[in-house]
Amino acid sequence: MSKHEMLGAPRGAEQSELACTINGEEMKLEVAGARRLLSVLRDDLALTGTKRSCEIGRCGACMVLVDGKPINACLTMAYQCAGKQITTIEGIGAADGGMDPVQRAFLEEGGFQCGYCTPGMIISVKALLDRSPDPSEEEVEEALSGNICRCTGYGGIKRAAQRAIEWRREAP
Amino acid sequence: MLLNRESSGKRWRIRPDGLGKVTGRLAYLTDMSAAGMLYGRVLRSPYPHALILSICTEKAQQLEGVHAVLTHLDVPGLNRYGIAHQDQPVFCENKVRYVGDAVAAVAAETAELAEYALTLIEVDYELLPIVDDAELALLQDAPLLHPQGNLLHRSQFNRGQLGSGFAACTHIVEDTYFTPRQMHTYMETEGGLFVPEEDGRLTVYSPTQHGFMDRLQLSRITAMKQERIRIVSSPIGGSFGGKDELNVQPYGALLALKTNRPVKLHHSRWESVRAGLKRHPMKISMKTGTDASGHLLAHQVRIIADTGAYATLGAEVLNFAVEHVLGPYRYDHVKVDGYSVYTNNGMSGEFRGFGGNQAIFALEGQLDRLAEKLGMDPWELRRMNMRMPDDPGPFGQPIVVTEGAMQVWNAAEASGLWQERGMPNREEEREPWIKVGIGSAFTMHGGGLGVGIPDPAGGRLLLAADGCIEAIFGYEEFGQGLLATLALMLIEQFGLAESDIRMIIGDTDLVPDSGSTTASRATSMMWKTLQNLKAPFTSQLLERAAELLGKSADKLAMGAGGIYETAGDSLLLTYKELAEAKGERISCSTAFQFPTSDTPRTGAHFLYTYAAVVVKVEINQLTGRVRVLDQYHAVAAGPVMNPQGFLGQIEGGSSMALGFAITEDAVMQQGQYMTKNLDTYLVPTIVEHRGTVSVEPIEHLPHGDSFGPRGIGEVGSVTLAPAIAAAIHQAVGIRVTKLPIEPELLQNDCAFAFAEEAVSKR
Repeated sequence: MSKHEMLGAPRGAEQSELACTINGEEMKLEVAGARRLLSVLRDDLALTGTKRSCEIGRCGACMVLVDGKPINACLTMAYQCAGKQITTIEGIGAADGGMDPVQRAFLEEGGFQCGYCTPGMIISVKALLDRSPDPSEEEVEEALSGNICRCTGYGGIKRAAQRAIEWRREAP
Repeated sequence: MLLNRESSGKRWRIRPDGLGKVTGRLAYLTDMSAAGMLYGRVLRSPYPHALILSICTEKAQQLEGVHAVLTHLDVPGLNRYGIAHQDQPVFCENKVRYVGDAVAAVAAETAELAEYALTLIEVDYELLPIVDDAELALLQDAPLLHPQGNLLHRSQFNRGQLGSGFAACTHIVEDTYFTPRQMHTYMETEGGLFVPEEDGRLTVYSPTQHGFMDRLQLSRITAMKQERIRIVSSPIGGSFGGKDELNVQPYGALLALKTNRPVKLHHSRWESVRAGLKRHPMKISMKTGTDASGHLLAHQVRIIADTGAYATLGAEVLNFAVEHVLGPYRYDHVKVDGYSVYTNNGMSGEFRGFGGNQAIFALEGQLDRLAEKLGMDPWELRRMNMRMPDDPGPFGQPIVVTEGAMQVWNAAEASGLWQERGMPNREEEREPWIKVGIGSAFTMHGGGLGVGIPDPAGGRLLLAADGCIEAIFGYEEFGQGLLATLALMLIEQFGLAESDIRMIIGDTDLVPDSGSTTASRATSMMWKTLQNLKAPFTSQLLERAAELLGKSADKLAMGAGGIYETAGDSLLLTYKELAEAKGERISCSTAFQFPTSDTPRTGAHFLYTYAAVVVKVEINQLTGRVRVLDQYHAVAAGPVMNPQGFLGQIEGGSSMALGFAITEDAVMQQGQYMTKNLDTYLVPTIVEHRGTVSVEPIEHLPHGDSFGPRGIGEVGSVTLAPAIAAAIHQAVGIRVTKLPIEPELLQNDCAFAFAEEAVSKR
């Protein structure tokens, strides 16, 4: 008995081509219609820095930048990414392999513990600073309100965000 | 001095696991995959209590791309697991007892196919009456979950004569406290990769807090020798006690062995919620009395803990709660009666604080109520009744001499936040429906597993062939900063540079069994291990160096990069040169037990950490919502091993306590979870964390103390909730008895009138 003969077998398996840019690299991927961006990134491309946690857009562990905006990869269908620029945590940082100041701030301030929320947190802070270089505390809170951290109590994360903001102030 | 980056100076260091975490390059065990890998899925019971009449897997077996469908008939060894009591079925045979109970498992070529295959497994159930209330479960006519009855464990403690104790009391308060089914909510859900090796061994890449315990349990289940199983167990995306028991491992292991292919399992959040452990919901009734001046005379406690369908560590958690409902106070007459009860609710188990959280919320509530009756400052009442440095522990057991109780009491008393309490409340600056209050609480919290429970510790140091000094421990890094703490201790105690060190943890093929990474014990035990190893390891190194250099060993010293002449600054010999020299490999190991008290009382502790919390909260009487504005934590745990880690653990623990106090409850009705994911199960976000968290470590230990740093992994999570309750009372005069705090309790009709008036004025 083949799976396609059975009532209720998994659907949406038809492949279609997805052209997008991921971490600066133009890609053409064969992706089933029902796939989510999170699954394409993690399972097909082995970009496992984007984390899977709640899968309902609540925790932010799977946050990536799509055309510079932070979005939850768990809520994004792969086909919606056609023609878009996607940046995952692996694509954050200087071209020479150095770190982005936001990453460095998280590292130096201890803005992480288990680190599972960290890629999403860094994406959110990065997106915030790119659109609002000198945000208020309220803006930082708002920007990170969709990212849950269970380890730090957000103390280190707030300190990291503040430090990244200070660095940007000092050297815009 | 408050703990922060500035006050820590050079000891504020970048974590060794930091770079991989901020770049996303660190592969967690649930990120792993392997060529030819299959996907595993577990079929779980939809019913909280039912008989299994039949299981038919034929249709699922026939599905193309499905490589294995397993039931209880396919378990080669023991079809049970559990750290302390092996009573949880790997696969249920004839009865399910909660909605996470596993009935079958599938391995298929895609995750979707595995999911679909589950729907083709036909299980015929006969529903049984549901036992969803721990108290009712103890009644004589309650349906039985287990043949031996619904009582997992009873724990009692008696001292003095309760009747005459209460008869002598001038003031008595009585209340009942309820605490929620809190969820660990580690961000990385349970999962892993299970690889059958060519030589017939099995490698398990799956997070756990104790690799050797998993290995033992998997060996029982698979009927394989322990040595044939390798457990790789770090890094972990959070655990907090929740990944100490087996979770996906039995299924991944059995599927991999059956198919002879690597199998990946990774729980969805809903699967994690239904199958995973929670904090034991407890109902704690207390009656406590004092004489006219406020001295505690009598304390009576009844604890009912809902342990769910299987034992896990329910008995041990209850024992801990029984100890901690007594707390750091002196009384002559005490009676505690605790029951851990099976129900058809979700599984309860180990969770940061281990029953202390529930106990301390209740006990500190009693102290506040008594102070009110006495017309006394609640903090002063605590001082009057607290244990003295030489006093025995809560069970009357000998414990290490400690000034911790008074130290944290004094620190909190002197804190700016507590002093603020006496200052004028600037009501006019706020909307009339916003009220502000300040409260405090304190505690002693035991570390280690306690009397009568195997609690091994130890580790190994060796000079590797490439000149790295390897520190090899059986502990796990689940985010708490264990690697950073170990690195800092090696740097500070041995004079090493970071580049001289290689830390090896979390792999049963490579490390000694150092006991579980739990019960706030790992830092203490790593410190003790290094103390034991320092002299023999250093002297071995220096003697070898002395031979090579033709100098006397006592003129040489270890330092960054190699061996130095004590008198001068020049590097005489690198560790690499030392490693390349002829002779036996330089290596030292030590093994010992976590120190325990000389008492027969199972679970009683010997080492304690003390903490006091002051908290300022704001209550919105329109919404009934509580917001924590500022927190002060004094923690007496001996010398701070790792400032960043210490601060992070207290901040993080307090965040968990905040959730416990104001939002978190895995709500169940009729044995079914109502809160299935993070949209309804609400853990604190950054928005709930306004204001400051000040952490003051008290590092001073009594003269001659040889036990060094005490654990702090749990103590930050146990004292905030009662302090919040005290602050709420100070602000609005309402006593909270049930957590999480129900907003309805704090809403105020007068506030609505104020609000209407304010709006009409605009």
